[in-house]
Amino acid sequence: MATTLGQEFGVRRVYDATPKKGVGVSLRLSDREVELGPREFDLYEKVAERVPGIRSQKEVAAELGMDEARLGRLLAALQSAGLVYRADAVPATLSGVELHTLFNKVLPSWLDEAFSHPFWERMTSGRGSRRMYSGWLIELYHYTRNANRHMPLSCAHAHEKAIKNMRAKHYAEEWNHYHYFLKALKALGFSEDSVTKSVPLPMSLALSNFMRQAARDDILAYSICSAVLEGTTVDRGAYNPYYETCAKLYDLPPESIAPIYAHLDLDVQYQHSDLFLDILSKVDSIPAARAGRILDYGHQLIEHIWLWTDSIEKYYDAESNPMPRPAFSKLLD
Amino acid sequence: MQMQLPVLKRTAKVVHGKNDKLAIQYMGQEVTLEGAAAKLFDKMLPYLDGNTGIGGIAERISESPKRLQSLTQQLGQTGVLAFKDSDSGERITGEQFYEIHRTYVNSWLQPIYDHPFWEKVVTGKATRGQVLGFAFEKYHYIEGAFEHMAIAAANATPEMMPHLARHFIEEYNHGDIYRKGLQSLFPNDLILRAQPLPSTRALVNFLSESAARNSFGYYAGNELLQMTENTGEEKDNDSINDFYDAMRKHYPYTDKVIDAFIAHTNADQKLGHENVFLEMCQSIPPLTRAEVDDALNIVRSMAEHLYLFMDGIDTFYARFPTIPRAPCDLLSE
Repeated sequence: MATTLGQEFGVRRVYDATPKKGVGVSLRLSDREVELGPREFDLYEKVAERVPGIRSQKEVAAELGMDEARLGRLLAALQSAGLVYRADAVPATLSGVELHTLFNKVLPSWLDEAFSHPFWERMTSGRGSRRMYSGWLIELYHYTRNANRHMPLSCAHAHEKAIKNMRAKHYAEEWNHYHYFLKALKALGFSEDSVTKSVPLPMSLALSNFMRQAARDDILAYSICSAVLEGTTVDRGAYNPYYETCAKLYDLPPESIAPIYAHLDLDVQYQHSDLFLDILSKVDSIPAARAGRILDYGHQLIEHIWLWTDSIEKYYDAESNPMPRPAFSKLLD
Repeated sequence: MQMQLPVLKRTAKVVHGKNDKLAIQYMGQEVTLEGAAAKLFDKMLPYLDGNTGIGGIAERISESPKRLQSLTQQLGQTGVLAFKDSDSGERITGEQFYEIHRTYVNSWLQPIYDHPFWEKVVTGKATRGQVLGFAFEKYHYIEGAFEHMAIAAANATPEMMPHLARHFIEEYNHGDIYRKGLQSLFPNDLILRAQPLPSTRALVNFLSESAARNSFGYYAGNELLQMTENTGEEKDNDSINDFYDAMRKHYPYTDKVIDAFIAHTNADQKLGHENVFLEMCQSIPPLTRAEVDDALNIVRSMAEHLYLFMDGIDTFYARFPTIPRAPCDLLSE
């Protein structure tokens, strides 16, 4: 049986595709921009769609109306542009530190993807609302409180003493940070009871359930997810304007912002963003399959953040939805 | 039993009509009041919070407690009004729970049936990514039986164990039926390695988490999912067939995938699972109010997760159309 195109090639992730007026499309990869003319882009799209299919190179060439040699030249051109890669070029193993280097290279693109949801632009352009801001904060409260559902689990499932210790210390430093969000919500007029007895949106719960899954599956998979989450809070330059703009646009009291800054500052002070490197430094060698799975957990978490944002916007945008969301009661519902 | 603290059900909606008429809409039913009764209800409405006694309300709105008592009792009988002080500590039987479950589920499933994704497919407006994404996510969800059904069987209470064991044994291989359909388009290895959307992962993880902590609540939630799959009733079959016919017409490449959908529906129907939940309800000891609330919280959350599952397919594949969702490797990012 002939090998399929996908057994020979892989397609690199494109983080953004921007049409260039009349001259094609600019594709943004984690390490480069690739500009393609309209015809080249059309061919690239056709090839990228067929790489994961069941056809051999010969069959794909026939489908695209070209001979195999021409398809081979096209694939070579796409490979040299960095858009596709040969499957046999994937290294068999790498060290923990090498995996961290790779993670650091792709993290900015991943975070761009996580925060590419239109919610952020909507909020900072004044088309959001105080209600949506507060809803987002309620879900952040749940997400932070739910750290207690996954952080200790990661300690329980870590097998090496050094890594167990690092995970336990991280938990000890983070477990009660939900109080910061509760304080902010109280400043926005919510009663403590209504917040603490509320239930999270399914996607907020999904974030902690996904972290629990990672914790049970592989401590390095859990740690990359944790590193992605820490990566969302290290840059004060990125988050300050968001809060400051929202405060102005939606008339938020300073007492509702101050606890959030205090929380973010504490995270920076603890240097939790270095934890993933500390953990990976303890790992000499990681087989490619495991390393791929670890990266995949990290990227799936990025997608969770995007969809979480989507859920928050949809739910809190509807004025008739209860806020905070009470748990079901047969008597009251 | 006290009946002094009336509370309007939180999900009830009061709609004011013409000529002193008003309607209270609740769980698909509508209670209409007119004339003096409508006026009295309107005056009482701000105090129907379960914290104000009938005497207190009467005093505040200058009405006779007797009139209030009469109206609240009548409304209590329709179900739109409850009394916060009516808990006699009485337990409810499994069979009573079954009836309550049916009533709530029919209401909670409505937003899923109303999701715009169905219409997009039927009218041919869904994209290739959304249509193939739907097929993949159905596969991932059914394949998720390996996780949640196994966890449910392994953590079952003595009464639930035979049901949950049988459920797993009869359904664990149903994912293969879907995989067969996808194999007409994608290599087997890639289907097995493909990653579900966060929203699908959320549904499977929620099932697993519920299965680990509350056997009966898990199955009550699972029953909601079953009710969307294998009713076997003619009118439901007709609408499902219409959906598949439209899908074949607009997306001919999904022909084999639809054959797999139908094969799975037939396999489910052959199992005769439609009475399993009733049998379970008949086999469990009576439930306290807290147990009923816990189980129904799981069921409501399951409905929300199912909605998220649909919404994820619609929203995520519209924004990120790459299909199948191949996992990361060391060169893909």
